Amino acid sequence: MISLTHYLLVGACLFCIGLYVALTKRNAIQILIGIELMLNAGILNLVAFGKFDKAANGGQLFALFAIVLAAATTAVALAIILNVYRRYKTIDPNKVDKLKG
Amino acid sequence: MAQTLPYQQLTTCYYALTAVVLPVLAFAVNFFLKKGKAAGWISTIAIGATTVFAAIVFKQQWNAPLIHATIPWFTIGGTAVNAGILLNNLSVLLLLLVNVIALPVHIYSMAYMSHDEGFSRYFTYLSFFCFSMLALVVVDNLVLFYAFWELVGFSSYLLIGFWFTRDKAVQANKKAFIMNRIGDVGLLIAIMVLFSQYHTFDLNALFSADGLVANSTLTNGLWINGTSTIPAVWQYLACAGLFLAVAAKSAQFPLHTWLPDAMEGPTSVSALIHAATMVAAGIFLLGRVYPLFSVHELDALAIIGCFTAFMAASIAITQNDLKRILAFSTISQLGFMVMAMGIGAYASSLFHLVTHAFFKCLLFLVAGAVIHEMQHIRDENKLDFDPQNILYMGGLRRKMPITFITAVIAGLALVGLPFTSGYLSKDGILIQAFEWSDTKAGVFKIIPILTLITSWLTAFYVARLVFKVFFGKFRLSEVNPGLKLHVHDGPWKFNVPMIFLAICCLFPVFSLNPFLYEHAWIYKSFLPSNFLERMNPYHTIIPIALNILSLLVIYWAYAVYVLDKKLPLKQNNWLFAFSYYQWYFNEAYQKVFVQPVLAISTGLFAFDRKGIDGLIHFFNRIILWVAKLSAAIDRYVVDGFLHFVVALVRQIGNFARSFQTGRVQYYLLTTVVAIVAWVILKILI
Amino acid sequence: MNLLTLLIFIPLLAGLVIAVMPSSLRGSFKYITLLTAVIQLVLSVLIYLNFKTGATHAGVVHEDQFQFVQKLPWIRLNLGGVGDLQIDYFVGIDGVSVTLLVMSALVMIVAVIASWEIKTNLKGYFILFLILDMAVFGVFSALDFFLFYLFYELMLLPLYFLIGMWGGPRREYASIKFFLYTLFGSVFMLLVMVGLYLSVKDPVTGNHTFNIIQMMNPANYDAGSVFSALSHQTILGMPARMVGFVVLFIAFAIKVPVVPLHTWLPDAHVEAPTPVSILLAGVLLKIGGYGIIRICAGIFPDAAVQSSYWLGLLGVISILYGALNALAQRDLKRLIAYSSVSHMGFVLLGIASFTAEGISGAIMQMVSHGFLSSMLFFLVGVVYTRVHDRDIYNFRGLATLMPSYTLFVVIAFFASLGLPGFSAFVAEAFSLAGAFKSANTNGLLPQWMAACGALGILLGAGYFLWTLQRMFFGTPLLKGGESWKLSLTDINWRERSALIPLAFMALLLGVMPSLVFNKINDSVLLLVDFTRQFIK
Repeated sequence: MISLTHYLLVGACLFCIGLYVALTKRNAIQILIGIELMLNAGILNLVAFGKFDKAANGGQLFALFAIVLAAATTAVALAIILNVYRRYKTIDPNKVDKLKG
Repeated sequence: MAQTLPYQQLTTCYYALTAVVLPVLAFAVNFFLKKGKAAGWISTIAIGATTVFAAIVFKQQWNAPLIHATIPWFTIGGTAVNAGILLNNLSVLLLLLVNVIALPVHIYSMAYMSHDEGFSRYFTYLSFFCFSMLALVVVDNLVLFYAFWELVGFSSYLLIGFWFTRDKAVQANKKAFIMNRIGDVGLLIAIMVLFSQYHTFDLNALFSADGLVANSTLTNGLWINGTSTIPAVWQYLACAGLFLAVAAKSAQFPLHTWLPDAMEGPTSVSALIHAATMVAAGIFLLGRVYPLFSVHELDALAIIGCFTAFMAASIAITQNDLKRILAFSTISQLGFMVMAMGIGAYASSLFHLVTHAFFKCLLFLVAGAVIHEMQHIRDENKLDFDPQNILYMGGLRRKMPITFITAVIAGLALVGLPFTSGYLSKDGILIQAFEWSDTKAGVFKIIPILTLITSWLTAFYVARLVFKVFFGKFRLSEVNPGLKLHVHDGPWKFNVPMIFLAICCLFPVFSLNPFLYEHAWIYKSFLPSNFLERMNPYHTIIPIALNILSLLVIYWAYAVYVLDKKLPLKQNNWLFAFSYYQWYFNEAYQKVFVQPVLAISTGLFAFDRKGIDGLIHFFNRIILWVAKLSAAIDRYVVDGFLHFVVALVRQIGNFARSFQTGRVQYYLLTTVVAIVAWVILKILI
Repeated sequence: MNLLTLLIFIPLLAGLVIAVMPSSLRGSFKYITLLTAVIQLVLSVLIYLNFKTGATHAGVVHEDQFQFVQKLPWIRLNLGGVGDLQIDYFVGIDGVSVTLLVMSALVMIVAVIASWEIKTNLKGYFILFLILDMAVFGVFSALDFFLFYLFYELMLLPLYFLIGMWGGPRREYASIKFFLYTLFGSVFMLLVMVGLYLSVKDPVTGNHTFNIIQMMNPANYDAGSVFSALSHQTILGMPARMVGFVVLFIAFAIKVPVVPLHTWLPDAHVEAPTPVSILLAGVLLKIGGYGIIRICAGIFPDAAVQSSYWLGLLGVISILYGALNALAQRDLKRLIAYSSVSHMGFVLLGIASFTAEGISGAIMQMVSHGFLSSMLFFLVGVVYTRVHDRDIYNFRGLATLMPSYTLFVVIAFFASLGLPGFSAFVAEAFSLAGAFKSANTNGLLPQWMAACGALGILLGAGYFLWTLQRMFFGTPLLKGGESWKLSLTDINWRERSALIPLAFMALLLGVMPSLVFNKINDSVLLLVDFTRQFIK
């Protein structure tokens, strides 16, 4: 029987992987993928918890919103990455440190 | 001028004032107008007119009641100081005497100084001296007296150093002034004592017959004047101060050494100032303040006067400088006068002052004439020798007869042989010295005996001088055979004054009886009322013994110096050296006073530099050191704390800054770590 | 317009005029300054002539008896509970100051004439000179302690610059020494001034006051205040009034100067340019003596008579020490500086006697020394400007080369050594006579002090005559040889015009001392009377 715990575990794993990817990768696209993973982990959790709201289907609804937003943000992020690339000729975020104090 | 005086006295006062003012007018004219050769006549005419006035004053005032006229001078505190004149026998006598001496000297000087480029300067000074001297004689209070006392010293300074390019002259005038200054300080102290005791400077109020001094007493170590009583020591101090003043001005031991040096001045000056008038001012001062001296103080005066007389005479016998011999003779004769004052022979002292003025002045004029001729010889033959040294002279009696005769008269008067004025005055002193010693303890017999010996010494050095200069052969020609000699008596300006003074050296001027000093008119006018006449045999024995022995001494000198007999005394023993080097007073003073004072002064200056300034610099260094210390504290402690705080803040800032890497992933990581840490903390707590 | 105020502030006006003039007109600065000094002399002589004498015009402790008074409220601050801060512009003179004003005015003229030698930075020089001028007259006439202090300090600064900028080779050392010495004294004076201010109340307004005259009246002191005679306060274990007196005395003693506080003087004189030396010796030293009479003896008469023995002792030491030091000098200017120390010792001795003779003699000595020391320093300046040397041993026989100059030197020397007929004689004789009389009348000074002081007269003759002998008499022999002989020309008319008035004044006051004594007598008698009540 797949219980809520399993979903959550998968979500947690997914989140950790995403986090790891986001923290370690030298490529902005890969980081974006990591972020996507974490986001998806969150969405998975939302869907999993949606089981307990059968009446309004709040979980499903929020998941949908989140997916849409994620798509939008990814589009924006890709656009930023593109611009960063244009400007710096690299998409390694370590090399883009204009904000260093 | 005090209006209360009767008309007669008022005119006398005005005459006296005129007599004082005329020379100062002459001085002013000569000083400001620079008249050149006319200066001599201006001064001489002034002094001539002054003489006339002085004679009138003398005639009116001699043996008349004293005149005292004053005007207010200034007021200081509660004391009104008056300026005025006091005319009594003493002052009018001196007034006349100074003039009668000064007039011939002026005439003489016109010839004597005629070739000197400082001719007008000379007469300027001379007039100034006459003014000071005449004023000194007539003033009525101690402040003015002191003022003119010092001014005569000042004019003497100017005249001694008249040839100011000669080193010896300027050293001599400095010495004279400083020696006199010692006396001035004494006089000043005496004046201060008298002022603080009597609150007045008025000579008449102080020293008249029933004045303040006469009415105050010395008892039990206290000096009592009415209500004011102070310790007697102040009376002694006043007398000591006055004595110092007298000793300085009248060249008494221990302040006598300036007078021989003062001979560096022109000879005519020596004749007027350093023989006849200024040096007599000391005796005059004694005469003015006579009532102040108590018996013991008079004894001290007598002792010092007698000692000075003897010492100076003993020096005079070995000197070779014509003027120096006369200078020591002057010291010696002044010693007689001081001694006479000391033994109470007030009248004789003043009498001797007058007679001495004439014959000593004359001797100097003679010396001047001789020196003048010697200088001629020196200049004419282009030789280099001391024109004042009697060893080069000799046989001048034939070439300068008038000079010779006057010199002999003056010399005899100085020795005190009968028919001269000196006999009258000096024998009087001797006789009274013997009488006085009878009333004293036996030791005091030394004084008249020493005086007697001094008289014979006087006879010897006078004879030596006259014989060396006027007898024998002219010794300079013996050394330089080819010498051109144009020696003769001087012009009338020399001869007239000398003859006039020579007449004044003879007895009729003073007493019609050539043998009895008691009959001299000057003597009689100064006698105290309780005078006793001729009470013992001294009056006969002493003059006879004295004069016979004097004649023997003179003959001895004649034998030695003219007939060239051997001198019984060797010249190389210590006695001769002692006399020749003037008892080593100059050397002793140099060692005992001058050098120590100079040493002290350099020492004090070193102290000033090293001590006081050193202390200041030391403080300076300490303060600098403290300042450096405080600067260090400021830098390392106060500033150090500040810097520490700054560094701390900066470190923290840097630490915080290190998070601001600009790398997105680091921010993320940081966030994660923070969250995790927070969670762990949350779990743990 | 008050004559005194005019007298004080005319130099300031002239200073402003010079300040706004372009420096292309620098040739006229000295004439402006001279004109100012002449106007001041005329004014001061006017004041002297209109000065009323008599017991009702004695001044000293009676405010209404002062003459030429101007009193204006100057600073008034309401301090709440303490009352008003009351500082007045208050000037006026009495017998103590009137003769000093005339003397200063004349010395100013001489100093201006001596300033002809100054060649550099004329604008600054004459402005500083005029400020100094103003301050001097201000000090002599101020009767408000605050005003007095203001002028007193105001003298210091121009002098510092005048010595430090126009002086000789060691001028920095000398000027800083002078400055610190004087400042040392005046700083403590400030403390005492404040103390006095807090102790004294104006009886009319009830405010604390700086009025010097009111400080002299014991009734004006607050009960229990620090300087009140009745409260017997102590400072560091010593009676407060004594401390106040001593502090003020030290401040003025530095100015006089009194041994051992004198060592700034020789250095300052040696380095200062001639006109500044003249002012220093001629005028500024007198401020010390004046301050001792007016401030020390006036405000603290009780302490003054108590310590008179020490004052007299210091006076005698100054006389002898200064004279002996003068004897040891090779530098002519230094010699004269030390002789100043010696002569000013007579001032202190005279004051210490608290007799009419002594104090009159002291004031006379200040006036006389004003003329004579100016003359002496001027004379030194004459030689120095010609050959830039002052060493006594480098000269000989100047009398032959410069007869007129030597005449003035002889006059100045003999006048200074107290030859009768010149002012110094009267002054010194009466200072000593007063000191001597003191033992008999008020018992303050022992007689030996006067006797020792008289020795100073002897030493004075010593160093002056020795100098005459070494430098002026004898056959001419100069260190600089022919070139010096050419430079050493006799004095010209400008120099004569400075020397003749001084010599004349010294002679005039010597013959007619009443010119001074008449004006000061009432004040001196009052002062003596006033102090007598404090003698136990």
